[in-house]
Amino acid sequence: MLEALNVSKDFGANRALDKVTLRVKPGEIYCLLGANGAGKTTLINLFLDFIEPTSGEVRINGRKVADDPLSTKRDIAYIPEQVMLYGVLSGIENLKYFAALATGERHSREQLLALLTEAGLPEAAADGRVSTYSKGMRQKVGIAIALAKNAKALLLDEPTSGLDPKAASEFSQLLAKARDRGVAVLTTTHDLFHAKQTGTRIGIMKQGRLVADLSSQDLSHTDLETLYLQHMAA
Amino acid sequence: MKARTFWLVFAHEARVLIADRTLPLVLTLFALLIGYAITNGIVEIRARDAAVASILTKQNERNARNIDQLQRINAGIETPAPFSNAADPANVGGGLGGRFAYVPTSALAPMAFGQSDMIPNYYQVTYRSRVNFMYDSEIENPWNLLSGRFDVAFVIVYLLPLFIFAMSYNLLSAEREQGTLRMLLSQPLTLTKLVLAKVSIRAGTILTCAILIPVAALLIFRPETRDAVSLVQLAAWAVLVCAYGLFWFAVAVIANAFSRSSAANALVLVGSWVVLVLIVPVLLNLAVSVASPAPSRTELATQTRLITVDGLRRYQKLFSADYRYSDKPDLLLPKDGRFEVQSRPKAAFMLQRDVEADIQKLLDRFDAQLEGQQSLVDRWGVISPAIIVHEGLAALAGNGSQRYLHFQRQVATFHATWKQFFEPRILESRAMTEADFAAMPTWKWQEETLRRQLSDLSVRAIQILALVLVVAGIGFWRLKKSSAV
Repeated sequence: MLEALNVSKDFGANRALDKVTLRVKPGEIYCLLGANGAGKTTLINLFLDFIEPTSGEVRINGRKVADDPLSTKRDIAYIPEQVMLYGVLSGIENLKYFAALATGERHSREQLLALLTEAGLPEAAADGRVSTYSKGMRQKVGIAIALAKNAKALLLDEPTSGLDPKAASEFSQLLAKARDRGVAVLTTTHDLFHAKQTGTRIGIMKQGRLVADLSSQDLSHTDLETLYLQHMAA
Repeated sequence: MKARTFWLVFAHEARVLIADRTLPLVLTLFALLIGYAITNGIVEIRARDAAVASILTKQNERNARNIDQLQRINAGIETPAPFSNAADPANVGGGLGGRFAYVPTSALAPMAFGQSDMIPNYYQVTYRSRVNFMYDSEIENPWNLLSGRFDVAFVIVYLLPLFIFAMSYNLLSAEREQGTLRMLLSQPLTLTKLVLAKVSIRAGTILTCAILIPVAALLIFRPETRDAVSLVQLAAWAVLVCAYGLFWFAVAVIANAFSRSSAANALVLVGSWVVLVLIVPVLLNLAVSVASPAPSRTELATQTRLITVDGLRRYQKLFSADYRYSDKPDLLLPKDGRFEVQSRPKAAFMLQRDVEADIQKLLDRFDAQLEGQQSLVDRWGVISPAIIVHEGLAALAGNGSQRYLHFQRQVATFHATWKQFFEPRILESRAMTEADFAAMPTWKWQEETLRRQLSDLSVRAIQILALVLVVAGIGFWRLKKSSAV
């Protein structure tokens, strides 16, 4: 479970997060919507221990991130908006390294190829240098890394941004599989359609505050768009 | 798990550095430079050893010729020339029989030329005042004095930091700039361990290169390095080089811990090199010159001339006397163990004795000032790791200032003994005998004790290791405050 409890984060005089409380339970996909600078990525960074909260607590599976960040990182997988890898190495070499770092285990070439295939990267591309990959291909290696980790929670920062519709759809299917396995997923996005389609819950952030926390089952696409625009205009 | 993570990053870094050609390029270039430096050192020291061997051979040959001549003179079968007369103590105590005092090259000498650039490694000791053979001239091309020789110590002290910067200026900044740092730190991996592993692969490779190449070359081409004392010295050499390298890696860690761009890091690192390796030693030299002004060679030369002029006046009559042997060649032969030393050579001896006595105070001040300067450099050299290590490496190579001061003190003692031996023979007109030749003082170099060398080196090692700890401590403390974003 991912929990942010009354979390605030200040950067100097600017308040990036203002008393945000949210919980993502196992088997839930929580989509965070909001304009640029609303605080979505800041919240993700808190779960990753990249920054510390000014006040409040961030917990993963009941453990405070600040108390034992290494332990909590074992339970999460992270896919940023742009998965950046080592360009001089191949996709499979990158996966081998990150998977070993994530799990502490050595993976065979067959296992690594299976992970890449599951993430949607053609086997023929696995040995190509990452510097020749498209953004979508790199994103798939990032997904394979997350799959290798078999984490209890997923943190996704605008993961489908820049992906073609087919790749975005495949990604949504992977998310659905993760949800079915009981993984707690927190994803930020600007894509209302994607949020409605994949999310079980949807949060709307504005100027560091969580201004709406909704169940997607209770919303139609039109309702969500209207609600979102109302909050942005307010 | 913890050690495994370290080795994972270590192996991965090796793969990336090889794949992007950083490691092969940097190591090849560094290996070429250090290989050239040690070759240069071995060639230079072989030439120096050959020069000393040659003068010793000539000295022995000349000694044998002198004894041979003395036997022929005593047998009445040779009438010698006036200035190459083996029976004349003034001739033998002067240039004819003067002995060479030399400092032998150490086993590790090819590593660092050190003071051998500045101070001759041998003198011919005669009854002439020391001021005329130890303080009389500069022996080196001024350009070499300014820039230093291309030896291993030069590569280590001046160039190694630049190679370390080339490998580590973007230790973290590159990961941050290419976005991989977020990916890495989202895994169970601390920034400290990441940096430690990154530094380890870089330090391991370049420092291995910096130590192994010259050490292997010495062990192969200089058999005297294979004894126990030399092996201890080689180990001390390795410790100093490692500590110096780690100091610069620690500086690179600090630069990277401030989350600036790679270009800014490179600028900061080169700036730190300029300050610590170039500017601080120059400033220290200036400060030492002000605190303990360098002895004036002009003053020494002027005083020597004035004292010599006084002496020439004092012994004017003796110098003006004719060489009587021109019309009485029998005067060149010893009679009943006596040899009438002519007025002019006798005057020359007394003049040199007086010059030595009169100039002694100035020479003592000269020596004291030099030693004072050296002790100031030793005390304040700690402000620059380059000074600590350069002095340490030169000392290990047997070309350090302390060993040369030790040499000069021994030369002064030998010179005094030499004069004491000849003074009564010259002034009392005693002819040289074969027994005298056998009893003539001989130069015996007394090496500094290993204990003294090691205690001096321990101080330097402690100084540089303390600097490493302080700088690395600051670096890793700052790193803990650093973030992935």
